[in-house]
Amino acid sequence: MKKALNTLGNYFKNFGIAFVKGDIWVKLSAVLMGAGYFARKQVINGIIMCLVEVLFAVLCIGYAAPNLAKFGTLGTVQFEQVFDPLTMTSTVNDYDNSFLILLNSIISLFIIFVFIVFYISNMKAVYRLQQKKENGEHINNFREDVRTMFNEKFHITLLTLPAIGIIIMNILPILVLVAVAFTNYDQQHMPPNALFTWVGWSNFKNLFTSSVTVTFGYSFKKVLVWTLEWAVLATFTTYIGGILMAKFINDKKTKLPKLWRTLFIIAIAVPQFVTLLLVRNFFADSGIVNTFCNSIGFTDFLKNIGLVPSNLSYIPFLTNPGWAKVMIIIINIWIGIPYQMLVATGVLMNIPEDQIESARIDGANPLQIFIKITMPYVLFVTGPSLITDFVKNINNFNVIYLLTQDVFVTSDQLLANSNAKEVDLLVTWLFRLTNEYYNYKMASVIGIIVFIICAAFTLITFTRTIKGDKEEEFQ
Amino acid sequence: MKKKVLATLLATAMVAGCLAGCGNSDGGAASTPATDEAAPAEDTAPAEDAAPAEDAAPAEDTADSADASGSPIDTLIANTTGTVTMTVWASEEDQDLTTKLLDDFKAAYPDVTFDITLGAESESTAKDTILTDVEAAADVFAFADDQINELVQAGALQEVAAHYTYDVAAENASGAVEAATVDGKLYAYPMTADNGYFMFYDSSVFTEDDVQSLEKMVEVADAAGKKIAMDISNGWYIYAFFQGAGLELTLNDDGMTNTCTWNAAGGTDVAQSILDLTASNVFVDMGDEDMATQIAEGNVVACVNGTWRAETAAEAWGDNYAATKLPTFNVAGKDCQMSSYSGYKLVGVNPHSANLGWAMLLAEFLTNEDAQTARFEARGLGPANLAAASSDAVQSNPAIAALAAQAAYATPQRVGGNFWSPAETLGQILASGNPDGTDLQELLDTTVEGITAPVE
Repeated sequence: MKKALNTLGNYFKNFGIAFVKGDIWVKLSAVLMGAGYFARKQVINGIIMCLVEVLFAVLCIGYAAPNLAKFGTLGTVQFEQVFDPLTMTSTVNDYDNSFLILLNSIISLFIIFVFIVFYISNMKAVYRLQQKKENGEHINNFREDVRTMFNEKFHITLLTLPAIGIIIMNILPILVLVAVAFTNYDQQHMPPNALFTWVGWSNFKNLFTSSVTVTFGYSFKKVLVWTLEWAVLATFTTYIGGILMAKFINDKKTKLPKLWRTLFIIAIAVPQFVTLLLVRNFFADSGIVNTFCNSIGFTDFLKNIGLVPSNLSYIPFLTNPGWAKVMIIIINIWIGIPYQMLVATGVLMNIPEDQIESARIDGANPLQIFIKITMPYVLFVTGPSLITDFVKNINNFNVIYLLTQDVFVTSDQLLANSNAKEVDLLVTWLFRLTNEYYNYKMASVIGIIVFIICAAFTLITFTRTIKGDKEEEFQ
Repeated sequence: MKKKVLATLLATAMVAGCLAGCGNSDGGAASTPATDEAAPAEDTAPAEDAAPAEDAAPAEDTADSADASGSPIDTLIANTTGTVTMTVWASEEDQDLTTKLLDDFKAAYPDVTFDITLGAESESTAKDTILTDVEAAADVFAFADDQINELVQAGALQEVAAHYTYDVAAENASGAVEAATVDGKLYAYPMTADNGYFMFYDSSVFTEDDVQSLEKMVEVADAAGKKIAMDISNGWYIYAFFQGAGLELTLNDDGMTNTCTWNAAGGTDVAQSILDLTASNVFVDMGDEDMATQIAEGNVVACVNGTWRAETAAEAWGDNYAATKLPTFNVAGKDCQMSSYSGYKLVGVNPHSANLGWAMLLAEFLTNEDAQTARFEARGLGPANLAAASSDAVQSNPAIAALAAQAAYATPQRVGGNFWSPAETLGQILASGNPDGTDLQELLDTTVEGITAPVE
């Protein structure tokens, strides 16, 4: 933290130094960005800098200013349309679109931010040129500058495109999402017909408070608990299952190991949603599994021991909260194990055979070898992927949504009042809120919370597992 | 040099990977800005339309009652210079028919060049797609009437302020017109009148007298060892009981929140009645898909469902296939006729359409008498058009006749989004026999709280 502050301090300090100690040309660069380059005979660089400055000015006036002017209110002019039945056309007023204003404002702010960074580094670069000249060092001409982009500075060239991609595809949408969490963007306030505006922290307050009618807080707690339960169970079961499966298939006594492995990989090759939808039908209340259980008397047996309510003639695999949760985890084991098995197979093949050999000579039995040598090794190698799996499971949309959508009906009225279900993960709840109820603001809030949970968890566990020099232990 | 080529390739791969990866991870957030870029294209359209209008507008006729006077259409044709580009959304099942109708439409206006794209979008989910980005939605689209409120609210429907080729309000059934009307203004063109629900039954099990009362049906089915199915854990269906008993569920003037009196006096009697009906395990809660299997397997001999299941039932029961209005059910010793939601499919015009006039003409064309007749002939969908509905073929269709009989007790679906989840859960609890033994009044109170909750 301190380090980060220091770096930031130095960053501005160097800028100050450049400005104060620079000669007239450097100082002039503060106004005309190309000035410093012209003075050192880097004419093309100078022209480019000036062009950038002009472009920025044009953007500011033509694009950023009109949008940012409305950023505080997100627009005030409501959409209006008048239809003329004679000409069969309609005229539309010059209305404000809150979403476009928000989006464009954030892009504008981002451009301004980038420009400031660019501006500061330009000042420093110009000052460096001045120093170079004073020290009599060689100053690159444009051609040489371009060449460095393919040699010493090749990493910059390489990273430009991915960086732009990440900014457009990830950072800007995330910034918009964060901003939406502080607005009242929902079905009542949907552009272009209606305006939405800032509401501060009230959406966050709603999430954590339960009043009589708005049961968001209650639902949030329940959904969060199940999300964490699910993430732990799903990660743990498939992980252990995958390792055991890999171990069994790799065992010398197993016949046709390649066949078994291929069979499991076929399970991966079939698109997950097809499998899941099929499984959902298998386990439907009148599905094939229920018909079978009924005919062999298993349903009655479960009724007798009280696992199935007596008024049902079927096993509520995916329709009763308890049953559904167990089924979801079991089905997830079934579709998750092949992946873990593949990973584990690779790791198991890399365990130094001499270690196992020496353990065997020392008289260790297979179980001891597995616990004392195999597992620690596998855990060390796959530790980071275990953490990513956990985070992935927190956001595991497919399994839950495809298995329970249209099938599961909650019998908890308080959950129902905020459109949640017992089996919902935060992410499926979020999906339902946005997709079926257009509650973008609450969805954004939940999205932010999910992000915080995942980020916090990842940071803590990563620093714990990778900390120190554990690597040494396995050398 | 070789190294650089490799490096460039790697870089490209990285970028591609990054783009693909990112595209997946936040499709929701990323797609919104992307689609919004379609907006500027729309902005130019009104100007383009308006300019020629000024030249040709001083037409002599004061055809305020645009009744069949072809002049606005002539003006429109005269004003149309370039190609008229439009998108139409119809359901997957309606593609063939709509393609044919679109060809007819083009043929009807030979002087104009059309470029009409037909997209597949189910009527039941049209709202979801349209509301994501109204400006990018199709010019003309089909949707189920329950979505009309939200669509109007979001400004996704052009008011049918005038009609040009046929009188929309007069030629369609009054129920359909009511369903297409919000706040006294007509917003859509009725296309079919078959989206409600009624009772299918196997006439080898039930007589016509039996199907008058749900209690009697349960008795008969119990004796036969068969089941009667209804999707009780679904707000759309459970409405039939409460509305039938005279309790109210209405949409408030804000168009978002509900008023609901299901917990008022008599509410617990209705809940008790549902508990009693389901207690026998003969009248069972069942989803639509399960119902289809169970009908085919012969376990279910009567069900509350809509025309989309007519084929399944007709196949399973053969000559014994029959359909009628919903039965009565017993509330505290009194027989009450089950109500229902009437359902219509409508065609709407997007007010953001660049070719509004043509879109309206096309919507009229897709819903006129000939089109509705063609739709019935091709797909067996009940027409909303009075003339088309009076044909013998339509009259003799059992499902459509049952719907017509139920129409007297049906109401158009006008309900805010907060209704569904709580009502679904109420149905679930009642259908499973109130396993926690919650006090019925308390149960209804919580449900009503959820239904009437303010929209946050």
